[in-house]
Amino acid sequence: MRWSVRRQLPAGKQPSALLVPSLGKGEGFLEAGGLRSRPGAKMANPVPSACCVVLAAVVVVYAQRHSQQESHIQYERVGADVTMKCGSMDWDAAVTWMANGTDIDASHLNGSYLILKNVNLTQSGQYSCYEGSSWHLKYQTHLRVGTPPKEPLLMCRSNNYPKGFYCSWHLPTPTYIPNSFNISVIHGTREMVCEKDVFPKNRCHIRYLQLFSTVKYKVTLTVTNALGKNSTTATFDEFAIVKPDPPESVVAKPVPNNPRRLEVSWQNPSSWPDPESFPLKFFLRYRPLILDQWQHVELSDGTSHTITDAYAGKEYIIQVAAKDNDIGTWSDWSVAVHATPWTEEPKHLTTEAQVTETTSASTSSFMPPPTTKICDKGAVVGSGAVAVCWTAGLVLAAYGVLFI
Amino acid sequence: MLNVAGDLSGDSWGIFTFLCAALCNLPALPALNCTEELGAGQSIQKTYDLTRYLEHQLRTLAGTYLNYLGPPFNEPDFNPPRLARAERVPSATVDLDLWRGLTDNARLAANYRAYSRLLCYLRALEGPAGTAELRHRLGHFCSSLQGLVLSIAGVMSSLGYPLPVGGPSAPPGTPVPSNDFLKKMEDFWLLKELQTWLWRSAKDFNRLKKKVPPAVVTLRLEARGF
Repeated sequence: MRWSVRRQLPAGKQPSALLVPSLGKGEGFLEAGGLRSRPGAKMANPVPSACCVVLAAVVVVYAQRHSQQESHIQYERVGADVTMKCGSMDWDAAVTWMANGTDIDASHLNGSYLILKNVNLTQSGQYSCYEGSSWHLKYQTHLRVGTPPKEPLLMCRSNNYPKGFYCSWHLPTPTYIPNSFNISVIHGTREMVCEKDVFPKNRCHIRYLQLFSTVKYKVTLTVTNALGKNSTTATFDEFAIVKPDPPESVVAKPVPNNPRRLEVSWQNPSSWPDPESFPLKFFLRYRPLILDQWQHVELSDGTSHTITDAYAGKEYIIQVAAKDNDIGTWSDWSVAVHATPWTEEPKHLTTEAQVTETTSASTSSFMPPPTTKICDKGAVVGSGAVAVCWTAGLVLAAYGVLFI
Repeated sequence: MLNVAGDLSGDSWGIFTFLCAALCNLPALPALNCTEELGAGQSIQKTYDLTRYLEHQLRTLAGTYLNYLGPPFNEPDFNPPRLARAERVPSATVDLDLWRGLTDNARLAANYRAYSRLLCYLRALEGPAGTAELRHRLGHFCSSLQGLVLSIAGVMSSLGYPLPVGGPSAPPGTPVPSNDFLKKMEDFWLLKELQTWLWRSAKDFNRLKKKVPPAVVTLRLEARGF
């Protein structure tokens, strides 16, 4: 006996396995079970009726399963009125609607249609419609409530000049439904391909084919979702978007035996491909933690600098930024580093003869911490000891004048 | 002899202006005739500084001139397509690898040719330009630009390269703009090319600075042309 069940396949596809009920004649093949009929054997009488019963059961199950709609997704705008029909059921059919497994009461129904007025985001979910008596699932849909996209924010920047630039984008407000982005870059008459980055997702990069172009780049970003679309355009010159990444590995160290110095060093950002031909200049800012005002130093070359006017014993916060020597804008500030200038060991009293810098008339105007009582060079001490310091300084100056 | 060595200060601009005025009457651009030792590295640095100065000057000049041309030329978003026509000025745009691979001579020569041409066309703007103030600004800029050309010539001389031949005259077959708008378009592109060249030159001279050691001192006496 050969068994077979016909399965309905999508149009255009050839069935790979066809099992067709047959009664011993014609082609067929072995089903699991190992039934094999001898060609020409006569069937016993109860077997054909058993076949029919099983066949009928199979057909019913199949019909039931196939009567369900494929589950699909429905997108609606926030505030809209949504009408859901229960598949192919008539308007006056008795149906029950459920939202995420919870019954919906009849006040929302108009016949067999479900009416949702002024939908909001909380009404997103799975809606199912069951035939009243048989409780057969007639229709199912996922409702996703969202908004059409607002104008996206697009930013293009070259942190690896002269290799190329990247553009990144995001939506100012969420739409709550999936969005797709399409970006196009036009340079003069040529359309360039912006390769999408794997991470982060909303970013793509372009390689420059030519340098020093007189023609601007025009980047258009279009965002589309099921409820609408929006776009934005950015037009810029090659040199206008150059902005390096901040300098890396900023290190600040005290200088031994120099209570007013801090040695700061850093490295070119690793994303900048050619610092030899496209040198960077740097901007250093520093302040003691207890003050708000920064001091600034601009450095046209080199990746280190010594601060020489630090207040002794005060913890400093230091940051560095970078910029192409000639074009573009400053990078963001680097990670801040903290450092305190070298201070003497408290048990060693500094003798006056060792003071080489007598100019302790610093421009500070803040109150020093009470622990600093020793009048060593450069230290700002309490008001009571200032007179002593000045006297000592004057005495030393007098000695110096006499002996030199 | 004219002393063109020394620190770049306010006095140097006066010297350059005098130089420009004296040499404006000559048919061909002359080579520098220096008896002073001129470090090539120093010259390069000065030329670099000059390009930065000119770029700064151009910003104001371009703003004023584009306002004189009127809309849409003075709109910041103005991004017209480049009309297909004979290039008046050699374009600064270049393939990255090609630019990297340029020899010092080729690099300097490209700059020299470009600025010579640009100077010539800029001078042509001076006549018909609108207000007296604009004419004055253009004139001042032209003088500085002349100084740049001479500075580049100086660098080439001190490195032993020959100056590119060929006067800064319009190439044959250049179409004359047919109407007022097209003429303004040409002016717009001229300023754009000038801006791009100045920005490219900064990079060119940065590269030259690295390749020519600053301690090189060369004594070059060349009399050419007259």
